[in-house]
Amino acid sequence: MYKGIRSETFTAWAFMAPGLLFLAVFTFWPIIYGIPLSLTDYSVITETHYVGLDNFARAFQDSNFLISLWNSLVYVLIVPVIQILSILMAILVNSKIPGVKMFRAAYYIPVVTSMVAVALIWSWLLGNNGVVNYLLLKVGILSEQVSWLSTSSTALYVLMFITMWKGLGYYMMLYLAGLQGIPTDLYEAARVDGAGPVRLIVHVTLPLLRPHILFCTLISVMGAIRVFDEVYILTKGGPGTSTLTSSVYIFQKGLEQFNFGYASALGLIVSVLVGALSLLVFRLNRRGGVNSY
Amino acid sequence: MRTNRKGFMAALLTMFMLLAACGGNGNTQGAADTVSNGQSTAAAKDVTLEFWTIALQPTFNDYFNDLIAKYEENHPGVKVEWKDYPYDAISQRLLTSTASDKSPDVVNLNTEFASQLGSKGALLNLGEYLTDEQAKSYFEGIYNSTVLGGKAYALPWYTGTEVLFMNKKLVEKAGLDPANPPQTREELVEWARQVHEKTGAAGYAQQLVSKLFPIDGIPILNEDKTAAAFNTPEAEAMISQMRDLMKEGVVLKEDADFSKQIQYFSGEQTAFQLSGPTFINFIKTSAPDVYKNTIAVPLPTGKANLRLSNSMNLVVPQKSKNPKEAVEFAAFITNAENQTAFSKVANTLPSSRTSIQDPFFTDSDGSLEAEAKVASSQSLDKATDYMVGVPSASDINAALTRGLQEILMNGADIKETLNKVEKEINNIISQGS
Repeated sequence: MYKGIRSETFTAWAFMAPGLLFLAVFTFWPIIYGIPLSLTDYSVITETHYVGLDNFARAFQDSNFLISLWNSLVYVLIVPVIQILSILMAILVNSKIPGVKMFRAAYYIPVVTSMVAVALIWSWLLGNNGVVNYLLLKVGILSEQVSWLSTSSTALYVLMFITMWKGLGYYMMLYLAGLQGIPTDLYEAARVDGAGPVRLIVHVTLPLLRPHILFCTLISVMGAIRVFDEVYILTKGGPGTSTLTSSVYIFQKGLEQFNFGYASALGLIVSVLVGALSLLVFRLNRRGGVNSY
Repeated sequence: MRTNRKGFMAALLTMFMLLAACGGNGNTQGAADTVSNGQSTAAAKDVTLEFWTIALQPTFNDYFNDLIAKYEENHPGVKVEWKDYPYDAISQRLLTSTASDKSPDVVNLNTEFASQLGSKGALLNLGEYLTDEQAKSYFEGIYNSTVLGGKAYALPWYTGTEVLFMNKKLVEKAGLDPANPPQTREELVEWARQVHEKTGAAGYAQQLVSKLFPIDGIPILNEDKTAAAFNTPEAEAMISQMRDLMKEGVVLKEDADFSKQIQYFSGEQTAFQLSGPTFINFIKTSAPDVYKNTIAVPLPTGKANLRLSNSMNLVVPQKSKNPKEAVEFAAFITNAENQTAFSKVANTLPSSRTSIQDPFFTDSDGSLEAEAKVASSQSLDKATDYMVGVPSASDINAALTRGLQEILMNGADIKETLNKVEKEINNIISQGS
């Protein structure tokens, strides 16, 4: 045993080692390797040349990339909606009403369903002759068919909705775990002081859920900026650049057009953006929880 | 802190040097010997050729195993290892194998991807290996599809040209005579309009790709492929007409890929379908009743009076360790005899001139499949791929598709968008990426 390291710490590291090794090989190393790559015109198939900061200069003049960044930032708007809805759902399924387990399972099913399957099902539902149009025409909300995924004014929001629909159950479960860690005597004390259901949520539940809110918001922001599957499967960034998100554009530049050097530069820019937003989330959620940290 | 920063910079520089050392230096062999057309020759040394195809296993295992066995028998010392990948996976596989210096020797690619790789210098110039006679044995338009700057980057293999499929029931309901089908795009538009007025179905669905330009005789790039050439009044008129047709409902207002087109035709939401004969197999399965009601006729031509082919090719990567043997094998697979045999097995069209004289391509038994085959094979001599000799074809295609979507689906201004796409494509060409 190494002197100075507590056995507990050593054990912890030992348990983390396999996972860390995987992360190091498949996550950390590619990220670090992306830095020198971003300074070249690397394309795998041809000779590589050093191009300095050209890729970064090109990125900020590339209107498609700027649009994709903007779309990714718009995508972040789903974060508060997802968090609010999943907290409400968690509160609902945390109650003692009969059949609540069935609801928990039902809300969680989209999470474990493959995104490809989810995307394909939604593409049928949202097709010109899909169920969504049929129902909205039937009840008179629409007067004519809408091509939800082929219309620039709706496509991005529809994709955001699909992302939200699939993610709700996941965050609900995390919040449910948080809710079950809140001591019941706190609620009882608040009730004795005359707090109603709304005040209980505002003054007891939400403050004590803050660590969970921080964690969920953080991964949700990262997920929103890096969204890829549903966009690529359903619209490939179209129509035009309406749903072009940064991940899809980076994928197209790198893996479809073999401009890996340029794609690495774009990836680094997006990573910096994600880092900055993550810091912002941290700053906004520094206090609270059952055990303040 | 300072030491840390220095250490980090040193690590970065070391990595960069490693990376620079990884740069491919490709195959530096100069002018090569010409190759035989699969005649018996012995390799100077034992050679294993890695041959990659797209989505041909297991359906055509027997055909290829026999062909490879025959080739190996005639070429002592040459062994062929055949691997097959799905359409979506082949580009990634090719990249990873190239990166790890385990390049395959003969690869099946579509024209767009072959042009993209050729323009990046990743493929062998096959022109250095082929005799004139060999090069001329293919249909000129199809062979030239992957010629860039005088270098032939691919051998054409199996191909397909589009035909016009018509839903007879809808056409007759609209008061039109399927026995006298439309000959030109203008006539097709008129028919589609009438079908839409009388039956409520749309005329057809289409994918918004760059081939819409050459169909109407609008070149995508200039003669020497150094700049965009599509930003013309003719292009504006073509796109403007398409926008009007979409507004009217004559053409579906959607960028419909092949699977969506199948859905629309199967559901009788469109009366016409412009695609290759493979469409029949899908319609047969998805809508047997519609299949019974469908007829195939030659595709109405646009202003350019040409029909577009959609070809598969064989290429030899620059990093192949056996270039001469690889080209020889590719020439063998694509020679007239083997192309004819493959077309019979796979119901595709050949790209070699003499294959087309076989009765298989001229006689029809009246079935939809035979009608489509005869209709499409008779137009091969004027067929050309729409990405003829276009460098960085994938990038250019993506830019044009985005522009068309912006105009036709997002309501962007035609002129403004064409200007923007022209600038984007000129950038792509000047950067070579």
